[in-house]
Amino acid sequence: MTTRRRIYLDHAATSPVDPAVSAEMMRHLGADGTFANPSSSHAMGREAARAVERARRVIAARIGADPAGLVFTSGATEANNLAIKGVLAAARPGRRHLVTTRIEHKSVLDAAAAVERYGCDVTYVGCDGSGLVSPDEIERAIRPETSLVSVMHVNNETGMVQPIAAVAEICRAHRVPLHVDAAQSAGKLLLDVRRDGVALCSLTAHKCGGPKGIGALWIRDDVTVVPLLHGGEQQRGLRPGTLPTHQIAGMGKAFELADPAEEGPRLAALRDRLREALERIDGARVNGDPARAAPHILNVAFPGVDGEALRFALREIAVSAGSACMSDNPEASHVLSAMGLTDAAATSSIRFSVGRTTTADEIDAAATRVRDAVERLRRLALGAPAWCSAWRSARLTDDPVFG
Amino acid sequence: MDYSAEVERRFDAPAGAGNVSGEGPGIAAGEAEDKVLNVWVRFEVQADGDTIREARFRVYGCPHTIAAASWIAESLRGAPVSALERLDIDGLKRALNVPKEKLGKLLRIEDAVRACAEQLGAAGTRPRVDG
Repeated sequence: MTTRRRIYLDHAATSPVDPAVSAEMMRHLGADGTFANPSSSHAMGREAARAVERARRVIAARIGADPAGLVFTSGATEANNLAIKGVLAAARPGRRHLVTTRIEHKSVLDAAAAVERYGCDVTYVGCDGSGLVSPDEIERAIRPETSLVSVMHVNNETGMVQPIAAVAEICRAHRVPLHVDAAQSAGKLLLDVRRDGVALCSLTAHKCGGPKGIGALWIRDDVTVVPLLHGGEQQRGLRPGTLPTHQIAGMGKAFELADPAEEGPRLAALRDRLREALERIDGARVNGDPARAAPHILNVAFPGVDGEALRFALREIAVSAGSACMSDNPEASHVLSAMGLTDAAATSSIRFSVGRTTTADEIDAAATRVRDAVERLRRLALGAPAWCSAWRSARLTDDPVFG
Repeated sequence: MDYSAEVERRFDAPAGAGNVSGEGPGIAAGEAEDKVLNVWVRFEVQADGDTIREARFRVYGCPHTIAAASWIAESLRGAPVSALERLDIDGLKRALNVPKEKLGKLLRIEDAVRACAEQLGAAGTRPRVDG
């Protein structure tokens, strides 16, 4: 069997740790490094605390935030849970209404479902066919008892950049804090919480060259959050537990290196190169509006092929499904479904995401392999009925796959 | 999802894929589909007397479905026509290590192959096998 070169195009899932980040982390692990507990009052502890504060300043600067508002967590999932459960729990009874969207990451949707079970009300706002949330719909969903609006910055499946500034303006007018899940945008897209009027912002390190297991929730000083965990006074009691200096320093280094002004255009060029190549495949269709997408994510539907089969054919290329197509009754991606794609179109969709280590050669090789795989699977299904071979009618005026 | 080496091999090179060439009284075709399970399969067989000379398939589905169609096509070649109605599904499950949640898709393949048997029976190519 021929082993083909592996290509990693799943940076929206996670990215490799940058060598400069791992070197920074190593400085805080061993006996000769800054390993001490940053909460300790002795000199070694204070030295570790200084490393934490350095990282805090760098991370906060990347989002235009006050460093004091940054609470380190185990990642964006915990940050999203802390924001939603913490704000709703702090709200007065009768003011426990959350507005969020149907296209959020599962960590937001599942946290919203949890607060619903605790007796809170949740309104879910949809999106248009290109995956954009309407600020007007957010405004219509806000009630006098709304205590939080939660909208992601960049959708993790389609890369669509949500109109955060416009949503924030509405939230400001209604005196409702806005939480933004910015897990996908760090290092790729500028977000300025002060300028954009964001009240809480979730971050993670591992999607921009940092380590897994560390993230943060930035909380504006006028927002009250009830902690999820108890057991110490670290981080003002909002997230007790010994601060992992090496993780935090690694996140700080990753955010220092992740400069959207420098990295964004390079990633966008790679994504566009891939998009142009994939769009030459008969019937292939980009999910979302490339003109309004983050530079690193591309989601494409390949009608006429089974999504699981296509991903298996491309198993030496690390990509993600827009769906969990692993059962007898494959569940289509909630994001693509919210955009109006049929199950067949949604399950044939693949998310490609580029990152710091991606090269143009890899893009070209990946595009060739995708085209070959799609053509091979379509040949295998020659004669199939329209519901699974509508790519041939995709050029006609009526496109049944995308209804 | 885990895939066995046999699924991987048959997915990469699905022996038996394609159509039976020519036409005549010994040729039959059957199709089955399930939109919910995301599967469509077409089988074509060519019988010579009571023996299946050729079995070919077209398929839209997951890797297990593709591999299963290939395994069945190979197992039918040279088999008696009655094999069309008595597919060795247990042998197939063992050979490919098909997970439980995929078994419904195998039934669609079985339906397509049975449709071939019915067509051959209706055409009087061979005696209908009951049961």
